[in-house]
Amino acid sequence: MRKIGVVIKQTYLRQVKSWSFVALILTPFIFLLLMFGISYLSVGNATENDALAVVASSATQRQATVKALKTQQVKLNRRYTTRPQAKQALKNDKISGYVVAQTKAQQVQFQYYGTTALSKRTKNQLLAAAVQKQQALNFSAAALTSKQAAALSRAPSFKQHVINTSVDKNKTIKLISFMLLLFMMYFILLTYTATTAQEIASEKGTKIMEVIFSSTKAENYFYGKITGILLVMLTQLLIYGVGGMAIYALTPRIKLLADFLKQHQTLIDGVLHHLLSFNLVYVVLGVLIYTVLAALCGALVTRPEDATKATQPAMYLIMIGFLGALALNQAPNNFFVKLFSYIPFLSSFFMPIRLINQTVSAWGNFASMGILVLATCGLTFYISHIYSGLVLQTDEMGLLKSFRRGITIK
Amino acid sequence: MLAIKQLSKQFGTKKVLNQIDFSVQPGRIVGLLGKNGAGKTTIFHSILNFIQYQGQIVWDDHQLTERDYDRIGYLPEERSLMTKLTVAQQVIYLANLKGMRTKVVKKILPDWLTALQVKGGAADKIASLSKGNQQKIQLICTLIHQPDLIILDEPFSGLDPLNTALLRNIILREKKRGAMILFSDHNMNNVENICDDIVLINQGQVRLKGEMIQIREQYGSTRIIVETPLKAAALKSLPHVCSVTPIRNRYRIIIEDEKYGPEIFAAVSGGQYIKAFDQQPPTLTEIFKQEVDQ
Repeated sequence: MRKIGVVIKQTYLRQVKSWSFVALILTPFIFLLLMFGISYLSVGNATENDALAVVASSATQRQATVKALKTQQVKLNRRYTTRPQAKQALKNDKISGYVVAQTKAQQVQFQYYGTTALSKRTKNQLLAAAVQKQQALNFSAAALTSKQAAALSRAPSFKQHVINTSVDKNKTIKLISFMLLLFMMYFILLTYTATTAQEIASEKGTKIMEVIFSSTKAENYFYGKITGILLVMLTQLLIYGVGGMAIYALTPRIKLLADFLKQHQTLIDGVLHHLLSFNLVYVVLGVLIYTVLAALCGALVTRPEDATKATQPAMYLIMIGFLGALALNQAPNNFFVKLFSYIPFLSSFFMPIRLINQTVSAWGNFASMGILVLATCGLTFYISHIYSGLVLQTDEMGLLKSFRRGITIK
Repeated sequence: MLAIKQLSKQFGTKKVLNQIDFSVQPGRIVGLLGKNGAGKTTIFHSILNFIQYQGQIVWDDHQLTERDYDRIGYLPEERSLMTKLTVAQQVIYLANLKGMRTKVVKKILPDWLTALQVKGGAADKIASLSKGNQQKIQLICTLIHQPDLIILDEPFSGLDPLNTALLRNIILREKKRGAMILFSDHNMNNVENICDDIVLINQGQVRLKGEMIQIREQYGSTRIIVETPLKAAALKSLPHVCSVTPIRNRYRIIIEDEKYGPEIFAAVSGGQYIKAFDQQPPTLTEIFKQEVDQ
């Protein structure tokens, strides 16, 4: 066990200290930061020149108009108070437009000047402010009592009730959950299949393996190697998990994202629920069985540059699983989805479809997981047993021939 | 003691080893000799359990298992290290696999680097060292855990005479410590200089084995090195002379039997002073050629 520990430590540290691992970890975070940065900057710019200036014949008139517009939550720029100033600011793209407010013969008049037409929302806001102002003027001219004024100010009530949203929302949650899971597994598999095969192939070409096998059994070395690579993968998932949680915790503090979070809280919680469930176990087991297969592929070639060629069988299986699951994810009761959800190498892609859509019983789930665990253990045991023969056989030959030669050496 | 009994190995239809028998005693160096492809490396791989074989390999009356690995030091034929690691990282990793603690390795590594005159420090990357210095690091990895059985597959290949002498001294030091040393080499001078015993393998079979001096002597002192004014033709015409080979200002004469030595001496010297007359058994190279060519 101590020697397996030494191999695990060596494999793990060598991988996580490499630049490629650091880049792999940082890429999604850098991507997210860039996304937030760009949206923040564009929103910042928008706030800056998306506002309207208010111009009026007198300061009192202007104050009253600004107050009415603020009540309607119109974005205002109060720096430009005269018509020439506003005109210049519009020319310099400092504001999106300006409103000239005046009252002629007891009638409130708002005139908008801008380079683009007003959005429906802003137009409504301006109109509402004008109505409010006009009403105040009318009330004052009519000299109404407060009771009469209150009666005239009474507005109708309108409420919107949307029913049956949970069905659609559930569908969206399921779709997003599955797509996230599928793409996450696909990219992890591509990364770790290539890494494992490359690592094993580069070692195989060297005589250091003879020195290592004179210190520990090839079986133990293989177990240590696979465990080390799995720990690297789990570290990556853990960092993503912690990073994701940190972003989730920070989101409410960022005004821009807080609204989004509030709006989609149910959806996000639903997706997280699907991700942090049995599906994650299928992802981990899927990565494990493919890592073992990739190790076998890597052990069949003598040069690291041939590792990509050697992993083709594993890549074909991944592609079949990925594309099949992508095509059939909306058909959880399809015969092939049911069949493939029990076949190792494919069940990691297809069983999550059935789990997310709740079309499989607990027994079915455990049966599939049991088959996958047994297949993974069986494959690991078998390859560990022939590993010494495969790695110590360094003659260049075809993959199948190399495999046959390897299993006859020991 | 390491005993190899009735060791046979077949790859497909090709029989590589056939009933190999020999042993290695503590504190002795055994040279395993043979042409390329004679099966030397296959014997090493069998001892290390890399391959399946027929026969028995017994160490102190028990079959070799993983538990014995910590007591073995193995230097393979081709040198290979993890070039991205530093010297210390590489030695610590391999020593850890032999059961040594990191703390102990760190403590004794500088002494080894000094003893082998490695040009480069413990913190240097393996890739930055010269080929010869990398070879020394690999030797340190082989010996640092003070193994009881040391297997060296052509340890001197690629080394200059100074480093060869340095390595020879280290091997002799290990012998003095009581280690069993089994090594192969194509340079018979190296073998003659440090081996106590030899095992000559040809076509998968043992052709010769035993103490080196005894083996040489069992061929008889039929080899005479002589410095004389006589011509080669005159020497060749002497009775019981098999062959005459000029070597610079001397001749190497092979005679039918060592008992004819005094007779040849009398004929060559003619009762006069001659500078050199040395009757000796054949060299290991000559024995090797004779046995392998047969």
